[in-house]
Amino acid sequence: MAKYVLKRILLMVMVFFIIISMCFILVKLLPNKPAEQFGKDMQLIEMRREALGYNKPLIEQYGIFIRKTLIGGDWGISESLYLGQNVWDKFMEKMPATVLVNAYTMLFAVPLGLILGIYAALRKNKWQDHLISTLVMVFVSVPSYIYAFLVQYFLCFKLKWFPFQMVAGYDYFTWDTFVSLVPAILSLGFGTVAGLTRYTRAELTEVLTSDYLLLARTKGLSRAQTTVRHALRNSMVPIFPMILGEFIGIMSGSLIIEQIFGIPGVGPLYVASVTTATPDYNFFMLLSAFYTFIGLASNIVIDISYGFIDPRIRMGSKKNG
Amino acid sequence: MKKLFALVLVLCMLMTSVALAETTEAEPTYTYNISAAEFPTVWDPMRSQTQTDSSLGDFLGNGLYAFDYNETMDGYDLVPLAAAEYPEDVTADYVGEEWGIEEGETARAWKIKIREDLQWEDGTPISAQDFEDSAKIRLNPVAQNYRADSFYSGDLVITNAENYAKSGVESDTTLRSFMEIEGVDTVEAFMELHGEDEGYINWSYSFGDTYDFESESWTGEAEDAVVDSGLTFAELYTFYTEGAGGEYITWADDAGKREYALDELYAKYTYSEMTWDKVGFKTVSDYEFVIILTKPLEGFYLNYSMTDNWLVKADKYEECTTISDDGVYNSTYGTSAETSISWGPYKLTQFQSDKVYTLERNDNWFGFNDDPDQYQATTINCDYVPEPATRLEMFLNGQLDVYGLNKDNMEEYAASDYTYYDEGDSVFAMVFNPDKAALEANQKTVGENINKTILTLKDFRTAMSLGLNRAEFCLATSPTSTPAFALYGSQIVADPDNGVFYRTTDVAKDVIVNFWGLADEIGEGKTYANVDDAIDSITGYNLEMARAYFDKAYDEAIEQGLMDEDDVVQIMVGTPNATSVFYNNGYDFIVNNYTEAVKGTKLEGKLTFERDSTLGNAFSDALKTNKVDMLFGVGWTGSTFNPFGLMEAYTSSNYQYDPSWDTTADMLEIEIDGEAYTASVWDWTQAIAGTTVKGKNAAGEEVDLCFAYSTDEKETKERFEVLAALEKCVLMNYDFIPLMGDATAKLKGMQIEYYTEDEIFPMGRGGVKYMTFNYSDAEWDAFVAEQGGTLNYK
Repeated sequence: MAKYVLKRILLMVMVFFIIISMCFILVKLLPNKPAEQFGKDMQLIEMRREALGYNKPLIEQYGIFIRKTLIGGDWGISESLYLGQNVWDKFMEKMPATVLVNAYTMLFAVPLGLILGIYAALRKNKWQDHLISTLVMVFVSVPSYIYAFLVQYFLCFKLKWFPFQMVAGYDYFTWDTFVSLVPAILSLGFGTVAGLTRYTRAELTEVLTSDYLLLARTKGLSRAQTTVRHALRNSMVPIFPMILGEFIGIMSGSLIIEQIFGIPGVGPLYVASVTTATPDYNFFMLLSAFYTFIGLASNIVIDISYGFIDPRIRMGSKKNG
Repeated sequence: MKKLFALVLVLCMLMTSVALAETTEAEPTYTYNISAAEFPTVWDPMRSQTQTDSSLGDFLGNGLYAFDYNETMDGYDLVPLAAAEYPEDVTADYVGEEWGIEEGETARAWKIKIREDLQWEDGTPISAQDFEDSAKIRLNPVAQNYRADSFYSGDLVITNAENYAKSGVESDTTLRSFMEIEGVDTVEAFMELHGEDEGYINWSYSFGDTYDFESESWTGEAEDAVVDSGLTFAELYTFYTEGAGGEYITWADDAGKREYALDELYAKYTYSEMTWDKVGFKTVSDYEFVIILTKPLEGFYLNYSMTDNWLVKADKYEECTTISDDGVYNSTYGTSAETSISWGPYKLTQFQSDKVYTLERNDNWFGFNDDPDQYQATTINCDYVPEPATRLEMFLNGQLDVYGLNKDNMEEYAASDYTYYDEGDSVFAMVFNPDKAALEANQKTVGENINKTILTLKDFRTAMSLGLNRAEFCLATSPTSTPAFALYGSQIVADPDNGVFYRTTDVAKDVIVNFWGLADEIGEGKTYANVDDAIDSITGYNLEMARAYFDKAYDEAIEQGLMDEDDVVQIMVGTPNATSVFYNNGYDFIVNNYTEAVKGTKLEGKLTFERDSTLGNAFSDALKTNKVDMLFGVGWTGSTFNPFGLMEAYTSSNYQYDPSWDTTADMLEIEIDGEAYTASVWDWTQAIAGTTVKGKNAAGEEVDLCFAYSTDEKETKERFEVLAALEKCVLMNYDFIPLMGDATAKLKGMQIEYYTEDEIFPMGRGGVKYMTFNYSDAEWDAFVAEQGGTLNYK
């Protein structure tokens, strides 16, 4: 197992390095010419670009990036999005808001999705199942920003139950902050609830109709006992990694939801770093590296988690006999 | 008695408690709640770049001079703000070689006296030395501050400011700039000095192609960067003006090529080291400093150039400054509440990136000593709300005091009593590439039976102008905007001392009626009683005439062999991206509009459009580099008070969109004071910018022409005449066709009241300074609750 993990980590480092190198080259190939302005001394702007090393050969810039950033851990200063500010500090300043709203969403969506999925599976082909399945289809099909506008219109504008925007400040664990996040949590959560409900229902339905559960019932176990002790546990094998993946994803913000509900998170940063008038190289590289790392690391964690959920699964072990 | 005593005591206690309650009752607060779709990131006066940044920074600082209402409240005055009085001309004190000022010169050195009660929000007094220290920070050669050029690139040119800002820096310098630095007048003299230096060029900018000197052929590719050509400067100049480069430039004659070369060939120039004492900025007393200028500047433009704030608190700035190991200078000043300090009417008390900022009244602001009643808003709260739908809902619930209307709700609120319309100062245009060689090259690459060269015909471009329904275009793209019919909009001020708007002058009105062909229809018994009626009738859309011009252009194109009968015209339209609603809607509108417009003409079914939406920042240069045939929604902003300088944007090879119009060779005759004078379009442009150029009078004699800024009525009138003639000349080219003027519409909340109902440029409706409140915050909350929590603004 340890050897398997080590191998996966080494592979991850290699893939990370390749992706980051590609990102570096591609972003540097984007046009980055400041727009002509009437009466502006463009030479001054060119001098700044020279000082920042933008005019150095690409291979030299790449060498500096490896030495200074990947090895030295200095992600540099923003030259476009947040002029003059340290990109790592800015990223870390904005990350908690994203994590918070996504974490709350998971805490709301995962139990609800599981409960509805289990209930629908147990009530298979009854009206409750049909109702849940229909709602699931609706919520899976409609993008979350549509709910966001509806939630905001009805709950914030019409009923005035919640504020339009997340409350300002860095004191995240207050009741006011939580209340102000409810519309965003609902908007983000509907899709997750629906997805998880559908997946849980499908897995549990399959397990509930398997032969070994029939055997368990014939041996005298009650329906509740077979469902909780055997069916649920087995159906969790594919569901748990899905939930784990969702939790890992809490660090990737939602551009639209964050903008609608005034959450000062990282959601809009990635797109903005390359769509501003001149690309913000340092921000783009930090975000690329961060999300690439999270994506690769989460894959390893999910793969390893299979072994813990189902002891029959042992990764990387040699075949016996 | 005891009872009476007790009663008196109780009464006394009651009265005391009531009195105490009155004295401890909180002062009412007035919060101005606004929202921003884009949020400020840096408001450091040295480096802020956008209007969004200024929207915050302007509250934290002051100009030495500022606009205010005039006495009659129908115009503006430019009055001292942080300055105690208007500048004093002290040129005579600085005569001599050191500053290059000769005896008898004026307007070259000005003493500015600042108010003695200026102070930072923490109470630290501000002296003249602080202004000089801040100027030094702005021009710091290590910093390459974005706003450093405000001391040398406009009207205000402080002696040696540029040399100090670039001290010791090696940079790509154009031949023209290099000649100015060396003080030589002719290219020949310059080549004697630097002909053997390495010559640099931007192949993409100059040719859109690269010449391989080894194989002596064009490669078809071009890097958009200034690169070493591999030739000496003299060889490169010859290549550009006479060699293969010169042959490539088909759109200019020999004189034009030599003129272009001055701006398109580069050398590496290292600015010599310069110390601060050589810069024309001197503190002469605690509250006085002197600026020494390279060229004379006086009157309105002198004061106007000092409406910008450059003051920073030097010790705080130093704390915020770092220099990295590889020598990159950086400052975080003005990026958060902690790194900001105010000397303006408000101080920043809260700033959360992409979320909110809060400004509170700065009681240490000097302006409150004069009038404590201005700036009634005790707090300004700005939320970052990028979604227009959310902004509208917040506004209707009383949480915002202003809402900017857009396409989706313009119709609903257009007639509301709370809707206010503001005109902008920019005109956006559609521009065409009429360069035959470039169009021929482009049409070759797109295949058989595709024609682009019909764009070289002025009749075709006229048809394109007349065939566009501008009003509908505005509705489809930006419904608050209005159709534009001339190069300059109604907010452009031509005589700033007297507040005369250019478009209100007779010569400017004549330009419009002439351009739109109405000049002969004005007068008694004619279609229009006067010029104003004629102008009011213009829509810019005449389908019948447009169709006639389309047919005429088609016949001309066939006759001249530009196109065959089975050819289809294809116009490549450039847009910066594929996501902008304005450009997406605009492109769709253009395609549909012209498809309809050519119906029933010989071009029916033969006029097609393609789109390149990958241009990004190179968008505005795309026509110049022959990547596209047409752009729309382009133009120049700024220079509201100097249309004379702005003309350069339309006639200089550096800025003009159409690369084929050689303004140095195009001669223009202008009648001034009853006498005709002839000079090139470029020379006329320079003449109204204040440079003396050579022209010819009606007798063919060489004369000096110069129409510099003046307060003399006759000279001002002559300057207007030249400006109008140039405007007409640009318009009649039909390569830069006015499309729309920028304008905005907003809903004003019931809590606030503007100072003036009408917009008075540049004061608007009084801004935060003059805004008053109908309700305090507490009263406002109660009022909104009374209305059921949602307000009706229809």
